[in-house]
Amino acid sequence: MFLTVVDIMEILLQLIFSGIALGMIYAVIAFGYQLTFATSGTLNFGQGESLMLGALVGLSLVGTIHGGPYMSYLLMIPLVIIFGALQGMFVEWIGVRPAIKIKSEFGWIMSTIALAIIFKNVAENIWGKDDLTFPSPLSSTPFQVFGANVQPMQVAVIVGALAIMAAVEIFNRKSIYGKAVVATSNDRDAAGLMGINTSMVITFSYALSSATAAFAGVLVAPLTLTGATMGASLGLKAFAVAIIGGLTSGVGAIVGGLILGITETAAGYYISTGYKDVPGLLLLLLVLAVKPSGLFGKAAIKKV
Amino acid sequence: MDFKLNLLAAALVLGFSSSAMAADPIKIGVAGPFTGGSAPMGVSMRDGVKLAVADINAKGGVLGRQLQIVERDDEAKPERGVQIAQELINKEKVVATVGYINTGVALASQRFYQEAKIPVMNNVATGSIITKQFADKPENYIFRNAANDQIQSQMIIQEAVDNRKFKKVAILADSTNYGQLGREDLEKALDKKGMKAVATEKYNIKDVDMTAQLLKAKQAGAEVVLTYGIGPELAQIANGMEKLNWKVPMIGSWTLSMGNFIDNAGKNGNGTRMPQTFIQEPTTPKRKAFIDAYVKAYNPPGGRMPSPVSAAQGYDSIYLLAAAIKQANSTEGPKIKAALENLNEKIDGVVTSYNKPFSKDNHEAITADITVFGEVKDGKVVPVK
Repeated sequence: MFLTVVDIMEILLQLIFSGIALGMIYAVIAFGYQLTFATSGTLNFGQGESLMLGALVGLSLVGTIHGGPYMSYLLMIPLVIIFGALQGMFVEWIGVRPAIKIKSEFGWIMSTIALAIIFKNVAENIWGKDDLTFPSPLSSTPFQVFGANVQPMQVAVIVGALAIMAAVEIFNRKSIYGKAVVATSNDRDAAGLMGINTSMVITFSYALSSATAAFAGVLVAPLTLTGATMGASLGLKAFAVAIIGGLTSGVGAIVGGLILGITETAAGYYISTGYKDVPGLLLLLLVLAVKPSGLFGKAAIKKV
Repeated sequence: MDFKLNLLAAALVLGFSSSAMAADPIKIGVAGPFTGGSAPMGVSMRDGVKLAVADINAKGGVLGRQLQIVERDDEAKPERGVQIAQELINKEKVVATVGYINTGVALASQRFYQEAKIPVMNNVATGSIITKQFADKPENYIFRNAANDQIQSQMIIQEAVDNRKFKKVAILADSTNYGQLGREDLEKALDKKGMKAVATEKYNIKDVDMTAQLLKAKQAGAEVVLTYGIGPELAQIANGMEKLNWKVPMIGSWTLSMGNFIDNAGKNGNGTRMPQTFIQEPTTPKRKAFIDAYVKAYNPPGGRMPSPVSAAQGYDSIYLLAAAIKQANSTEGPKIKAALENLNEKIDGVVTSYNKPFSKDNHEAITADITVFGEVKDGKVVPVK
C-alpha cells in the first residue's frame, strides 16, 4: 500500500480533528475540576456523573423518551445549565461542606465518589441502563476541510467548550462576584477576614463546576450515545487532563485536553487500537514525575 | 393463648401438607443479561421462554407437573453468571437451565452445571467452543440451539467473498471473548479462501470514537467491513463511517439485528447484513402465531421484537427441554441429558422442525442450512431476497 504525502497529511489532519473534538470535552470537565479546587482545595470526583446527568436531563427535554420533545436544543441549554448548577450545590452541601467544616483532608474524596455512584444508580432507574440516541441539532453530514471530514456537531463542541470556559473566566475577572471567587482562591482565610462569605463562594464554585460539566454533556451527547455509564470514563480522563495541564491553569486544561485527545486518536491509528489509552497515561506519569504541579500549574508551597 | 398457638400450629401443618399434595413444579433456570448493552437479546430470550412455558403449562405441563422458571439477570458479567449458577443449582435446585447470551458468561458459569450433572441449553450465546468446553469428558451436559460462530463466520465470508465478490475485507471486533473468538473464526474462514483481512481492528465496549479503526480500514482499501460485536458499539461503527464520509457495506454476526444497533445507527444501518435463524416475518403459521403472541404479551415499541432471534430460540429451547424431560420420565440431569441426545419426538419449533437435533457427539441443534441472511431496512430486519 503506497501512500502519497497528501494521503499522509489527510490522515494526520483527520486524526487531529477527531482528537481536538474529544480533547475539548476533556478540557471542559477538567476546567470544572479546577474551579472547585481553586476555591476550596477540593475536587468533585463525580464530575463525570454531572456530565451524564446533564446529558440525560437534556435528552428528556429534547428527545421523545419522556413524552417530548418539549423544546428546541438551544432553549434546553440554559435549563440544563441551571440543573447542573443545582446539582453541584447539592454535592457541595451534602458531600464537601461537612468535610471542610471539620478540616478533614480526605473526607470529601469518599463522599464525592459515593455521591457519584448514587447519581449513576438514580440515573439507571430513571433512564434505564441502555444507551440512548441523542437527536443531533445539526446535520450529521460531514464537510471537508483540507481533505479531512468534519461534522458540524464536532465544530459546535469545540466552539461551545471554548465559549463556556471564556464566559466563566470573564465572569471571574470582571464581576464583583467573580472577584470574590478569585480572592477566595488566592487566600481563603484572608478573603474571609475581608468580609467575603467564603463558604458561599465555595458553594458557588461547585455550582459553576457542575454547570459546565452538564453543558459539556449536552454538547458531546449528539456525537456519542447517552446513558448512565457515559460519565465514568470521561470523568477519569478529564482528571488526567487536569493533572497534566495543572490544577490551577485554565490554559493548562485546554492544552492538556488537546494533548490527551490527539494522542488517543493518533496512538489508536499509528500504534494499535488496543493501546490507544497508554501513551496519554504514560504522559500523565511523566508529568507527575517531572513537574507534579502540571505543565502550566503553579507549584503550591505548603507551609507546615 | 394455648388455643391460639395450637391453631397456628394446625394452620402451619395444614399449609405444608396441602402444598405437598399438589405436584411440585419443575424448576428451570433462566440466566441472561436483562440490563445493559446485551439486554435486547436477554429480555427477548426470557420473554420467548415465558411464552413457551405458558403454552406448555396451559396444556397440563410436563409429567403432570407445571413448569416454573427462575430468572436471574447476569448483567453480561462472568462473575455474576458464576454466582447465579451456584444459586440456581444449590438453592433453587433447578432441573435444567436455559439461557446465556454472552459467550464469556457461558464459559465461566457452565462448569458448575457440568459438575452437578444438570443440563444447560444455550439458546443465544454463539462462541464455537461453548458446547466443546467439556467434550473430552465422558458426559457432556452442555447443549445449544443457536447458530454458532463457526457457522456464522463461514456464512459471513461466503456472503462477502463469494456472493458479493469483495476482494479486500476489514474486520472490526470488540475486545470481549465474543468479539475475539468470533474474529478468530472469521480469520479461519478467510484463510480457507486463501485470503487475509487487509485490516483487523479491535475496540472496547463503551468506545465512542471509532475514527482510528475506521481510518485504518479505509486506508487499507477495504471494500467491506466485517463485524463481531454488540449493538451500541456496532452503531458507533456505522455512525463513525458517516463521520469519515466513507461508506462501505457492513456484514457481521447476527447481533447486527439487535434493536439497539438499528435504533442508534438509524439510516447509517441500512443495508447491513447478518445471519439469522429467525426473522420477524410470519412466513409459516407457527411463526405467525408466535410473533402475534409475543407482540400481544409484551407490546414492544412499534411492534418490533427487540431481538427476534433470541425470542425464537428462547421459545424453542424450552420445547426441546420439555420433550427430553417427558421422554426421560424423570427430572434427573443424567436422564434428561440422555434423552436430549436421542430425542424420539419430532419437535415443531419456531426456528425449525427438530428431528433428532442432538446426538452423543453433536450438541448443536442449528445447522448452516437453517440459517438465512437478514438485512436492516428502515428500522427493521427483513429477509434478503
